[in-house]
Amino acid sequence: MAVGISGYGVAVPRLRVKKEEYAKAWGSFRAAGVKEKAVMGFDEDVLTMAAKVSRRALSSVPISADRITRFAFASTSAPYGEKLLSGTIITNIGAPSDAFVSDHTTSSRAGTEAVIAGMEHLRSNPEGCTVVSAADAPKASMWKSIEHGLGAGAAGFVLSKENLIAEIEGHASFACEHFGERFKSNSEDLIQDLEVRKFAQSSFVGATTKAATNLMTSLKSKPDDYAHIVIQQPDARMPATIAKKLGFDPEKLVKGSVVSEMGDIGAASTLVGLAAALDSAQMGEKILVVSYGSGAASDAISLKVVGERRASPSVRTEIERKEYIDYIQYLKLKGAIR
Amino acid sequence: MAHVSIPMYWRTIPQRYKMIGQKCKKCGSVNFPPKGVCKYCNESSDFEDIGLSGKGTVHTFVMIGAGGAPPEFVEQEKAGGSYPVAIVELEEGPKVIGQIADADPKQVGIGMKVSTELRKVYNEEGVIRYGFKFVPD
Repeated sequence: MAVGISGYGVAVPRLRVKKEEYAKAWGSFRAAGVKEKAVMGFDEDVLTMAAKVSRRALSSVPISADRITRFAFASTSAPYGEKLLSGTIITNIGAPSDAFVSDHTTSSRAGTEAVIAGMEHLRSNPEGCTVVSAADAPKASMWKSIEHGLGAGAAGFVLSKENLIAEIEGHASFACEHFGERFKSNSEDLIQDLEVRKFAQSSFVGATTKAATNLMTSLKSKPDDYAHIVIQQPDARMPATIAKKLGFDPEKLVKGSVVSEMGDIGAASTLVGLAAALDSAQMGEKILVVSYGSGAASDAISLKVVGERRASPSVRTEIERKEYIDYIQYLKLKGAIR
Repeated sequence: MAHVSIPMYWRTIPQRYKMIGQKCKKCGSVNFPPKGVCKYCNESSDFEDIGLSGKGTVHTFVMIGAGGAPPEFVEQEKAGGSYPVAIVELEEGPKVIGQIADADPKQVGIGMKVSTELRKVYNEEGVIRYGFKFVPD
């Protein structure tokens, strides 16, 4: 029996900062194609966002929280380096304490990592129910150009074998050793980037195209079979480069593109993108999801839409609910002024 | 600061994270937060746990600002500006105090419909204290 997505939910924090604020403060804005980005309020973090989307995903399905047997959380911006993160979320959503939980926290690919881990659980536990929740709000020094695009957002999914709205047809990955792009040392909570641009881009393009090609080879599928492709969105340019390289019409990126209004949301990037694609995809359409995490790895997941969807609110509704803040307020909320 | 020890905070997790109230087996009223003796009939200590919906209506509210925040909320007020604190009448009956998050302060008013969400309440001893806040429903 097929495994897949039974329901999903998304959340975009209400505050936004526009790229013009950066232009005023720094004289430039360095995230290609990002117009504005979402910012968490003072009392939010990735765990509160993850709890919210897990609840929303559960409320979209006729499955109650006490049936959860597996929970997987993904983020690169966890509030603790050591301490169970999933515990906060499962307690809030009312999942049983005997569910197997895991925290995936060292890569912007962690969202798809959690989906694949959660899905594998269902192979050995056909009656089980998995909730995957990816929430991220990456942080870097305000002096670094990588900081400009960093936003916030979250998506949660209920995976099971019942009431599927999208079947997971298969997945494939690519992993190798790479360094110098986007890393965080153990001694601080800010992303570093050595800005060796071409070197970083070759890893990004190489890993994602290999994972996607591996998957299409094993499924005997081709770009024409997919109506939508969702690719990791550090900015708007990278996914376009990769789609082109894979032989996809860049138009197929449109439905799952969220970076221009939310910013780079790290481990939640591909899953919020997938939710946006699911919001408007037609029955029978296929979606290819390709994540990337520095260091470096990529996962590709192939899905087919098989049921009516009723996620509430939609990604669009969440994006449109907003209040603008200026750069000074942004600095205060990000804890950049001490 | 109104110090709440780690074990004391931990014991309130069912209320703060999950809105677990208690229903009086004698008079049927819902108590939240839990009481030793039912505050409605003043007779029974026999309760059953009940998960509340978290939905309710603003009964009254006040804006906390201009340096008026209690010590554990000073940083929040400085970073995020003044914030509303409300007495909310839950749909199951009890009236509870909580912050209203995610709302334009100008839109907060008596009769406003709200629901609960997990938020960071404050941070003490390096431990993030999570708990419910109200948000516009």
